[in-house]
Amino acid sequence: MSRTGQVAFDTRLRGLTGLAIVGFLLSLVTFGVYRFWYMTDLRRFFWSRTVVDGSPADYTGTGRELFLGFLAALGLLIVIYVGLFGLAIALPSLAPYSAILSFVILFLLGQFAIYRGRRYRAMRTLWRGIRLGQDGSGLAYAGRAALWWALTLATLGLAFPFMRAGLERYRIAHTLIGTSRMASDARGRALFGPWLLFYAVALGPVLALLLALIAANDFVPPIDLMLPKPGGKGGDLILNPAYAGTRIATLAVALGITAGCCLPLSLLLVPFYRARETRVFMNAARLGPVRLVSTLRARQFYWPYLVYALSLLGFVVVVGLIALLAGLAARAAGGDGLAWAAVLGGGLLYLGGALAFAVLYVRVVQARLWAAVATTTQVADADGLNRILAASHGPGSGLNEGLADALDVGGALQIGF
Amino acid sequence: MALTASGRWFDGRSAAPHEVTLHLGERLEITGLEVHRDWNLTDLRAGEGQAPLLRLGIAGDPGHVEVVDPSFAACLETRCPDLRKRADAGGGTWRLVAGSLAVGIAVLLTVFFGLPIAAGVLAPLVPAGIEARLGTAVEAQVLDLMGDPPPCAEPAGRAVLDRLVARLAAGRGLPPDLAVTVRRHDTANAVTLPGARVVVLSELIAKARSADEFAGVLAHELGHVALRDPTRALIQASGTSFLLSLVLGDLTGSTVIVALGQAVLSAGYSRDAERAADAYSVAAMRSAGGDAAALASMLERIAKDEADADPALLRSHPFTRERAATIRAHAGARDPDRHILSDADWMQLRGICPGATDGPDKPAPKPRPSQRRRV
Repeated sequence: MSRTGQVAFDTRLRGLTGLAIVGFLLSLVTFGVYRFWYMTDLRRFFWSRTVVDGSPADYTGTGRELFLGFLAALGLLIVIYVGLFGLAIALPSLAPYSAILSFVILFLLGQFAIYRGRRYRAMRTLWRGIRLGQDGSGLAYAGRAALWWALTLATLGLAFPFMRAGLERYRIAHTLIGTSRMASDARGRALFGPWLLFYAVALGPVLALLLALIAANDFVPPIDLMLPKPGGKGGDLILNPAYAGTRIATLAVALGITAGCCLPLSLLLVPFYRARETRVFMNAARLGPVRLVSTLRARQFYWPYLVYALSLLGFVVVVGLIALLAGLAARAAGGDGLAWAAVLGGGLLYLGGALAFAVLYVRVVQARLWAAVATTTQVADADGLNRILAASHGPGSGLNEGLADALDVGGALQIGF
Repeated sequence: MALTASGRWFDGRSAAPHEVTLHLGERLEITGLEVHRDWNLTDLRAGEGQAPLLRLGIAGDPGHVEVVDPSFAACLETRCPDLRKRADAGGGTWRLVAGSLAVGIAVLLTVFFGLPIAAGVLAPLVPAGIEARLGTAVEAQVLDLMGDPPPCAEPAGRAVLDRLVARLAAGRGLPPDLAVTVRRHDTANAVTLPGARVVVLSELIAKARSADEFAGVLAHELGHVALRDPTRALIQASGTSFLLSLVLGDLTGSTVIVALGQAVLSAGYSRDAERAADAYSVAAMRSAGGDAAALASMLERIAKDEADADPALLRSHPFTRERAATIRAHAGARDPDRHILSDADWMQLRGICPGATDGPDKPAPKPRPSQRRRV
């Protein structure tokens, strides 16, 4: 009879608010340098409160390692930027494509950084004294990601879930717990339904109208459709009068309206897709006979965002009321001093708001999403865990994650494996 | 008094738990099948975690024990002074704050004092070919920002302008690829770009009351060309944005600092650069036989119009008065009959933008404070 192990997370979150306040304020006064130590504290907090089959995880990374990694990555980035700039200057024929070239290079670098950052986090994670690890190559991962993205673009986004599953399989298949290698049988097919729903609501109408627009223009992108507004500022555009009354103009207006409606809707559907994807990926992960079983519901992903959005809305309303009152008071007094008081108050509100939302984001969004994933996950055949043996490899270099931070990809906490 | 609890031992080699018994006395004894440890209480460290679960270990031992027993945990807390001490702790935070403040101030000092000097040293070293390519790229961007003003090239006016530029540049060692263009735009301004490119906006010609006023501004821009100010400003601005945005990171507060820094630094050339370009203008106008003081009147008029349009615009107006006074002091005695262009030539130059709003009776266009003043 196989035993089922539980994954638990301490949702009392005692001490997290203080951690977030101190981390935010110190990051502010240290020009952001403290963020590496803050990130480390957050991870140690979340790791140590996540208990898998009775034993908590242990994060052993340090802020110093992250900071040194960041500095090393900065050096690499400077070389790349200077190289790109030099290339554009040396080969003027390349200059029009230099934006595309730097995008491609930075994209590959970003994917490389994501993979190496994950490696760093794995190697700094201990469970029951056993160190996790990740092998495989960051370059190979970046290459796969690039090919998958090309395929996704070529299929107008339909290949997206297959890309996500393919990259997840690569990541999991190169994840080690001690000497035991994990495996994933995540399939894009399992995600295709949720993705199609997202696609039909968010992307489909926009893409269809865009295609219709290009078809109506004899398959030439109508680049002269929008013209700079005469006498307007640089960014102001108007519909080209030459198109007035044509089917193309009607389609263009419809496209604008549809995009305006669909994009907010698509934001509403992101948590749904993310929850489904997390559940599929969790269920697909295994370690020998040990499997993860996830019963994650989409509503558990909506709740944190809802609370966060409502607090955001409430804050904006309160600030608006205060500004209104201050403005009325200023008009009544007619003094110049009040204007300065308003500026000062506004500055304080800005700082206070930034602090409040940084803390709320950690407490409400990150902690609740983490808790939702952890507490809905079970370990099937947990006795198989006892057969895991420690590997002889050390914790590995701390320089891995710096690039991810310098490029600003990957957060302090990533939900899922 | 001794306390006893049962726990799970993990040897650090495998994930298999071993049932053990813990005895807490003067020392902590852990005993089980094939497990025997006798730990000094001062060496004992607890991993951070979810109470009541306690993870205990000591440095140098790969094994650790996990206990779930609130009263045992409470007793341990009182007997082990260093239970919660972390290996990496110890006043590090304040050292870190002081250190990063020092680094931050060093970066700011570099941005405000080091970069201008570095840019001044580097700008003359940029090869002409590279500077020309930079100029092409920057010109496209600047024109795009201004809403692509159309070029003006009425041949008669163009010929007058070319002769004027040649006279102002004569014998002053300006780059051979100097290119002055006129574009139709309702801002009284002229912009000098890297690679010896000067873009004159038509409103500047319309606003000049005499050829000398216009020529004075033109010579001022040629002064920026001679001193390589655009390339210097470009190096300085890129260095600033790179340093501030990459080193300071992505935090909300720091982003504000970055935005402020860029706004302050991109407002124009430094005052020293403007003074040097003024001096160049005065010298060029005097040797070309024009009224060098006309630049001062033109500067004052543009500054006044800007202040009328936007009373909050306090920027650099005392500086304008100071510049005007310096220009007049060095302009020398003025011969009211000498003009840099004949009246006929001046009329033709004014006609370089056919159809552009012209004449003193038209309503004054609103200058945009957001646009850089390069005059």
